[in-house]
Order: sequence, then structure tokens, then C-alpha cells
Amino acid sequence: MVDFGRVQKELQECNKDINVSGISVNPKSDNLTNLIGTIPGPIGTPYEGGTFNIDIDLPDGYPFEPPRMKFATKVWHPNISSQSGAICLDILKDQWSPALTLKTALLSIQALLSAPQPDDPQDAVVAQQYLKDYQTFASTAHYWTESFAKASSLGVEEKVQKLVEMGFPEGLVRSTLEVVGGDENLALEKLCSG
Amino acid sequence: MENLGASIVLRMEMITHGQTNGDREEIQEQFGRERTDGDREENLRTILPTMLQQFFDGHRIHCSCEGKRWRERYLDYYDDDYDDDFDFDDDTDPDRRAEVALQTRDGSSCKVITKECLLAAQREDIQRVMELLSLKEHQARTLLIHYRWDVDKVFEVLVEKGKDRLYAEACVMVQDDDNLNSTHCSSLALCEICMEEVPVYKMTTMDCGHCFCNNCWTEHFVVKINEGQSRRISCMAHKCYVVCDEDKIRNYVSEKDPDLAEQFDRYLLESYIEDNKRVKWCPSVPHCGNAIRIEYDEYCEVECACGVQFCFSCSSEAHSPCSCQMWELWTQKCRDESETINWITVNTKNCPKCHKPVEKNGGCNLVKCICGQSFCWLCGGATGFDHTWDSIRGHTCGRFKEEYTANVARATSEIMRYSHYHDRFKAHSDSLKAEITLKEKLQRKISNMEARELEIKNYDWVTNGAERLFRSRRIISYSYPFAYYMFSDTFLSEEMTKEERNIKKNLFEDHQQQLEGHIEKLSGFLEEPFDMYLEEKVMESRMRIMNLSKTADVLCKNLYDYIDNEILLHLGTTINIVPYRSKGADKAVELDL
Repeated sequence: MVDFGRVQKELQECNKDINVSGISVNPKSDNLTNLIGTIPGPIGTPYEGGTFNIDIDLPDGYPFEPPRMKFATKVWHPNISSQSGAICLDILKDQWSPALTLKTALLSIQALLSAPQPDDPQDAVVAQQYLKDYQTFASTAHYWTESFAKASSLGVEEKVQKLVEMGFPEGLVRSTLEVVGGDENLALEKLCSG
Repeated sequence: MENLGASIVLRMEMITHGQTNGDREEIQEQFGRERTDGDREENLRTILPTMLQQFFDGHRIHCSCEGKRWRERYLDYYDDDYDDDFDFDDDTDPDRRAEVALQTRDGSSCKVITKECLLAAQREDIQRVMELLSLKEHQARTLLIHYRWDVDKVFEVLVEKGKDRLYAEACVMVQDDDNLNSTHCSSLALCEICMEEVPVYKMTTMDCGHCFCNNCWTEHFVVKINEGQSRRISCMAHKCYVVCDEDKIRNYVSEKDPDLAEQFDRYLLESYIEDNKRVKWCPSVPHCGNAIRIEYDEYCEVECACGVQFCFSCSSEAHSPCSCQMWELWTQKCRDESETINWITVNTKNCPKCHKPVEKNGGCNLVKCICGQSFCWLCGGATGFDHTWDSIRGHTCGRFKEEYTANVARATSEIMRYSHYHDRFKAHSDSLKAEITLKEKLQRKISNMEARELEIKNYDWVTNGAERLFRSRRIISYSYPFAYYMFSDTFLSEEMTKEERNIKKNLFEDHQQQLEGHIEKLSGFLEEPFDMYLEEKVMESRMRIMNLSKTADVLCKNLYDYIDNEILLHLGTTINIVPYRSKGADKAVELDL
């Protein structure tokens, strides 16, 4: 069973210094096994200004087994799948240690955003571009950050209206938006996937 | 040291003096290099005399005089204040050399490790390392698992790199005293894993100094064992790779799940076989439960107590004088019918109408399929039937004729070549299978002769003759795949010119032919109903069989010598073949502990 006592403490610890780190972890629902983490895009990178959501799934053996993490926000990065958001990071696999926490893992992911490792790619297309044509890579990554990782300037009502216009029932739209923290892209994704 | 000894002996025997000198220089150079480093020298000086003494004392238990001689030699070397003259004189003496060769090749140097003695075998090695380095059992085991149960290697690293590096590489941490043990006070401390305040006596510190609560340790161990990592469960702290104490693991896990603790013990035990370069499971099916441990060269053929013979290096059937690579390629080749498919592609064309493969058996280039469709043999295109000897009405092609003919010629000769070698390989292996029944027949003949109460009382010549026949038969049979690859113009194309290859091939075939002739004769004589002969004629048969057995042995040896000295020695690529042993595969004996 997941050690919920520890998860609870981790959440408290992490959200205590949210102003300093900018990193937060919140439960998706009442269930503490599905969480959502957010990290700000590191300054001085094409991800600057973006807020990236990360889906966190805690396995039964947590913290003795690594948490399963993937990007919920679309991101253009050699070590992150542009399709699925899967992350290629050693501490999420064999280098995991029970002494690491969700926060340290998210910090490592943030560090990965600043220092891509194209030699060990998750997304071969992005990695190729990174190595061969860095300019195009940087502008694509920046464009993706602008399009997917920036909080929409629209107000809640406008978002609801937009989604309702797409044909989703209003009640469902509102509850979904709430679950994903008001991010209309995430809400759309969730609505589409049912 | 044992290994070094064995490998030098083999090479000396195999090769001329020039080569031996080369080896000598190599060794001198190796030791010379270490001496240039001041620290190392000091290190060697202090460690060596005592360590070597302990080490070889340990070794003497099962490596007899060979190890002892090496020990003397090494001690001499270092005691003489690094005398430059590395004394090899005793090995240039031919008798001595022969004796050494006998020990390494003909003395049974491999052991059967049964389920029952696995624990003891493992313990023996652990004990040696524990005593040598005054380590605890789990530390010695970790060290040995890291160095693949090679005690020599542990020793080598100790001498070359020092204790600290030896331990660091294997992730072993040695604490000076036992102040790590949990104290029985009731104060609380924070476990950084579960983030709870836990009484100190419920926490455990590992060798590396990291301390967490017992519950967390247990969970960690359970997860790691289930992940199949029993042999190296490292500490929970981030980036700490120090391997945890197996006693603690066992204690904690057995409290929670006794079955899992048992599983853990089994994994540790089997590591002695699976992580050990000197030990291999016997490949018998159904499995006999045994493993074989060798003492010297990994290129050898062994016979398990269950009777299965196998090549120690690749665990497939014994295949000398084929190298493991050749044997793998050969079995692969025989398995898939690539040659047949090759023949079909080259010699037939698919009919453009019914798509069946059609072979042209003569005549002009207009071919008519059984279905009635005519087509051009050169391009495979459908045509009408109206044609002359050199043209088909309304059809022109033929630009690729030359290339095509060359392809056909190449493929055909390759197939011919393969079937030449394969036929002979198969003929001999089939004979070998047929001759297995010979054993019983010969036993009957011996009984018949014993019943007749002849002058001859000893019938070893019959059984020895049969054994020699089987052994030579195997060698001649495996010499064909060897030749197929060795003299192929693609396998080692860079190594020999065409002329060289041809000369060597011819000489090799002479050796083969000679051996083959004697094998057939021996087989013939053994088949004769000599048990019915008059006593005088039985004596004649006996002489003939004894002589032929002896000659076959010599011829096999010559064949191997030719391979070693005339072929392999001149190659840039190293090809390892199991050396010839007159007595056949090394019969493994029970481990005596």
C-alpha cells in the first residue's frame, strides 16, 4: 500500500515553500494516488514563462518504487515525448531512491528542462532537431510553451462557453475545468478522452 | 595466478620458443610497469609477502603443486628485491614442460557442483576472501559477486589498485568498529523515508552509515527482492550504492514474509553459479541439477556426472576443433534451409502466370511452364511462343546476361562447397550414432572370449579401441565445419591470400584424409567377429586394434598441432579452439570439501 502518511507530509512540505520554488503538488481527487504537480519553465530557456503540469501516479510500493510521472502539458523537448508526455529521466527509473521525494523528482524534471540530454532521447524527432538545427528547435519549443503552457487569458465563463460551443454539456465542462485547475487545454483533452 | 600459470603453459606447449620468449617479456613488462610507480612498489612490498602467503596457502587446498610452484616463483621474485631476471628456466626443460602440460590438460581439473555441495563450494571462496581481507561474510560475498566469484581477480585488484579502490568498485563499505549498532535508548529520531519520528532502537544503520527505520528497510528489501535484485540490494539513500548486510536483510524480510526470505537465500546461493565465470550449469535436458566448475582454461570440454558432454565456453555440445563461433554459424546454417532457398532463387524463375518456380533444363531462352505460359528466361517476362534459337518475336532483353551468369556460377559453387562439407560432417556424425550400439556388441564379444578362457585375460584393448574410435570420429566430424569456415573466402577473407589458403587447405585435407582412413580401418576391425577367431588370430586382431588406436590418437594430435601451429598462429584474429585431449572431455569429479 502507498504510504499515505508520507505523501500527506510531502504535500505539506512542498506547498510550504511554493513561493520560493514555484513547484506545487496537489491531489487530483480525494484519492492520494493520483496527483498533479506543476513546475514553472526555467528562466532563460524556451520554456520560460510556461507552467507545466505533470501527472503523478503513485504505485503501491511508493516510496520504495518510483512515482510514475508524465507531462500533462504538451512540451517540445528531446527527453520528453511530444506525443505522450513520457519522461526519460534516470531517477524515475532505476536510479530512484526512497529518500527522494515528489518535490525532488519535480525539481529534477525542471532541471531536465534547462539541460536536455539529446544523446539519450525519448523523442527521436525532437532530439534530431535539437542536434542539427538548434534555432528551429528553440522556436518550436517556445511556440509550444506559448500555446500549451501559458495560462489562458480568458476568464472562467469564457472558457466554459468555448467548450460548450464545442458540444460538451455545461455541467461536465464546469466540473472538468475545476478538476484540472482551470486549464482549458487540459480540460479539452480530458473531455475528449471521456 | 592459477590462470596465468595455465595459460602460459598452454601457449608454451603449443608454440615455438620465440613465442614463449614473447610471453616472458610480456610478463616482465607487466611487473616492470608496476615497479616504476613508487607508491605501488611500497604497496606491493608491504602487502605481498603476507598476502601471497595467505593466498597461496588457501589455493594449495585444491590446486596442488602447480599453484605451489607459482607461489614459490612469485615469492622468489619479490623476495629477491625485484630481481630483474624473472626465472623461467625450469620451464624450458622439456620434461618439466610436459609434466606441467599433463597437469593442466589431463588431470581432471573440473568439479561437479551438486545442489547439496553448492553451499559448501560457495562458502569456501567466501571464507578465503574473509580471511584474506578480514571482512564480514556479506562484504566478502558482495566483493565476490562483483568480481564474478574470481578470487584471483579480487587479489589482483587488491595488489594493483589497493584496498580502497577494491572496495569502492564493488560498493563495499568497511567500518572499523561496531559503533553502528542501534543503541537501546528510547529517544526518537526522524526516519527520512516515512518521515515519522521513530524510537532509535527501531532504526538500523547500514555499513555506509545511513540510518532509517526498520519498517522502511523491510519494505525496501521486499521490493528489491521482488524486482530480482537480491544479489545487490543497495542502501536507500540517494546515490548511495553500498550493498546492505545480508543478515539484516534476511532477518527483517523473514519477519514479514518467510517465503521471500527463502527466495532471497536461494538467489544468493545461485549467484555462485550464475555470476561465476568458472562455473556453468550443465546444459542437460531434463536438467540434472548440477553445475560444473573448472579450474583453468574456459576453453575446454567437460563431462558432467550425468554423462552429458559440453563445451564449457558456449554450453553447446562439444565441438572441438570447431571454434564456438564457427559451431554457432554452422548449426544455424544447417538449421535454416538457406541453401535450398538460395538454389531456388538462383536456378529457377517464377512463371509470370501461375507463379510456380520453373527450372530451365536446357535449350534456348524461351521457356514454357507446365501451365502453358511461355516466357523469356532472361528477363522472366511473358512472351509468345514464336521464336528462333536466339530471339523471341517481339521481345528484346539480355543486357544483364553477364552479371546473371556470374551470379549463378557463384551461388552454385557456394552450394557445392557447403554440401561437400556438410555431407562429410553428416556421414561421420551418423557413423558415430550408429557406432554407439557397437559398445554393447563389443561387450558381448568380450564375454564370449572370456567364456572361451583364452590366454588373453585383459580385454581393455577392445574398450579402449572403441573409446578411441568414438573420440576420433567426433574430431573428424567436427573438422569439416571447421574447414568449411577456415578455408572459406568470406569468413576470414582479410587474413590469408587465396594461394596461402589453398596450400593450407590442401595440407589440412591430407591430415584429415589420413585420420579418416585410420578411423575407418579401426571401425572395420572392431566390427570383425574376432571373438570367434582362433586364439592366434585374436592376438593378431588385438595387435591391429591396439596399433590403430595409438595411430589414431597421434593423428588427432597432429591434426590439432597443424591447426594450432600452421593456421591459427598466423591469424590476426584470435580463434579459440578447445585443445586436443587424448582422454576426451574432462570428466568432472565430485567436489571434495
